[in-house]
Amino acid sequence: MRLSKLERRSAIAGYAMLSPAMLVIALVTLFPIGYSVWMSMNTISSTFTGFQFQFSGFKNYGIVFHSSLFWQTLWFTTMYAAVTVVVELVLGLLVALALNQPIRGRGLAIAVMLVPWTLITVISAQMWGYIYNGIYGVLNYVLMSIHIINTPFLWLGTPTSATISMMMADIWKTTPFVTMILLAGLQLIPSELYEAAKIDGSSAWNSFWRITFPLLRPSLGLAALFRILQAFGLFDLPFVLTNGGPGTSTMSIAMLAYQAIFNNGSFGPGTAVAVVTVALVILLALGSLKALRTQVGEIDT
Amino acid sequence: MKRTTTIALTALSAGVVLSAGLTPTFLTSTKQPAHVSAPAAARRASGVTTIVWAAGTISGNGLRQDMVNHFEKLHPTIHVKIVQEPSNTNTTRAQLVSEISGGATSPDVYMGDVIWPGQFGSLHLALPLSQHLSKSFFSRFAPGLVQGASYKGVVYGAPFFQDSGFLYYRKDLLAKAHLPVPRTWQQLMHDSLVLQHKHMVKYGFVWQGASYEGLTCDWMEYLTDAGGQVFNKAGKPVMNSPQAVKALTFMRSLITSGVTPKDVITMQEPQAMTAFNDGQAAFLRNWDYAWTNSQTKGQSKVIGKVGVVPLPTFAGHAGTGYATIGGWNLYVNPHSKHLAADLTFINWMTGVQGQTILATKASEIPTNAAVQRNPQIRKLNPVLSIVSKTHLIARPSQTPQYPAISLAIYSNINAALAGQVSVKQALQTANSQIAQAANKSGL
Repeated sequence: MRLSKLERRSAIAGYAMLSPAMLVIALVTLFPIGYSVWMSMNTISSTFTGFQFQFSGFKNYGIVFHSSLFWQTLWFTTMYAAVTVVVELVLGLLVALALNQPIRGRGLAIAVMLVPWTLITVISAQMWGYIYNGIYGVLNYVLMSIHIINTPFLWLGTPTSATISMMMADIWKTTPFVTMILLAGLQLIPSELYEAAKIDGSSAWNSFWRITFPLLRPSLGLAALFRILQAFGLFDLPFVLTNGGPGTSTMSIAMLAYQAIFNNGSFGPGTAVAVVTVALVILLALGSLKALRTQVGEIDT
Repeated sequence: MKRTTTIALTALSAGVVLSAGLTPTFLTSTKQPAHVSAPAAARRASGVTTIVWAAGTISGNGLRQDMVNHFEKLHPTIHVKIVQEPSNTNTTRAQLVSEISGGATSPDVYMGDVIWPGQFGSLHLALPLSQHLSKSFFSRFAPGLVQGASYKGVVYGAPFFQDSGFLYYRKDLLAKAHLPVPRTWQQLMHDSLVLQHKHMVKYGFVWQGASYEGLTCDWMEYLTDAGGQVFNKAGKPVMNSPQAVKALTFMRSLITSGVTPKDVITMQEPQAMTAFNDGQAAFLRNWDYAWTNSQTKGQSKVIGKVGVVPLPTFAGHAGTGYATIGGWNLYVNPHSKHLAADLTFINWMTGVQGQTILATKASEIPTNAAVQRNPQIRKLNPVLSIVSKTHLIARPSQTPQYPAISLAIYSNINAALAGQVSVKQALQTANSQIAQAANKSGL
């Protein structure tokens, strides 16, 4: 691609204006990541005067990849991310389609819907902890008073029910976020397309799959990407709700890094876990971006 | 269309960079800048030094402030600011590791678990007290405590109060049902079933079964009483022994028989305490403070109805069961800028006056030998007269790898209690993970 003189000049001006922001991003993002990578390749001892580094190459990574706990938390985090993101996308899309209709009280509905998203996770996790509590939890109370169960069920007591309970809390909190992105996407679709389809005799179902869904794909991809990135950093919800239990069955990969660094004082292996997570997240992000770009290309042609 | 796409993609890439940066932010916080005590100059001018004391709640009745007030009256040039520590010892440790390894100068003095000297000594998170205090300072403590606060011959903590496990019981219920106070675990189970069967109480026995350090403490008591060990004399992990199977099978049977509610696997100290204080359980395993806690107006419905005895033993054994040694030391932050004031504070807190307040206003066991022996104090503190009768057992914490060892213990015991894996499987996994942890794998 060749740029004209004018275009080149405006490009230079553009980069010049961007550079302060880029510098800040480099300082707060690239430096910590780089420093973590450096830490993960050292044997680190804590002394009275600070950390002492001794270069040890990939030794810490060897420890991480030989740890069964690492693979277990990686599997848990991946599975958790996949399930919650898919459910949130489907639910979020349904809600967004409903809210896109010119119904009365739409503003109020959007405001109410956003409440879970605005709550701090640590607080909403405490709240869910009380809801799920086996002795005085409100969920057991409700289910028992309408005779769905006879004895209290320990929601956070088995790996499967604890995982599902945690997913519920996550879906409750994050679906509004997905809804907002999709709603914005829906409002970008020109209404003339639907009018034309109607004149051609297209059914609502057909219009959804032929118009709404393809044009909404960029927004869906964007929402999915944001959610996958967040889900891989899963920490506060299990930390408050289950502390990784029962056993270590709900321990996320970020919790493992925390456990290794701050409870065990194993700074090297702990940062190695974190670096592996970052690498994974970047790969996933690039993958989604690429998928998104080809989709956008298809739409253009 | 084209335009919106470009905008969306720019937003995307910004999001990627930011999110990728979010993941490791807690790593860099290990290297956070030292806290600067801002108005320090102002205080120096007025001649008052302020030190920050991070401390967990002791018996929950304002005792800490009480002690600080006494101390400040005697030492008007030192002001002590209390900072609250979390109730979960693992969370407290994580906080202190991140602050102090990052070079923070605050807190100056902190209350820390008795099992920390190994790890905190090797990570240089605590000031080696024996290099700053004379030998005569340490002679005030009851035997064994100073050794417990040491790692490789260096003393890192000043013993503050001693803790051990006790059995608390509802004397009103036992009397009404004409039952003896249980001396064996089997008796406790039987008593509970009788009381529950008569609908006199909802649950029999509550304790700490959540996946955290507290479960390791409870486990050590059953394990040792059954004749088992975590490590043998040669330092090899031996937790998959028949004795361990006996101990864990019994703990699990407490739950399957309904004596202990299933919820126990999510119970830390506060939850077990609440169930007992609410009158929902006949028996409670808890530390010293539970005495005062269960006799405090406004938080307990069982005031005057509680008795305390040493923990039971397995049927066929003479004497009492085992009680895990817990308790808290006072540690000094090696980066503290007020060393003289810190040591003065520690000296008073572990001295006769401070320890007397601790032993009489709260049912804690003082570490100061003179206070511990005082018959008048013994009369006021029922826990104190029992502790000499009980067998004590220490956790295998004299190693920097202890946190990972304990994680291997409590996470697997918790899984077995939940019925998620068999008793044998849990012990086998625990044992191999303990071996891995002791081998310095670091994860």
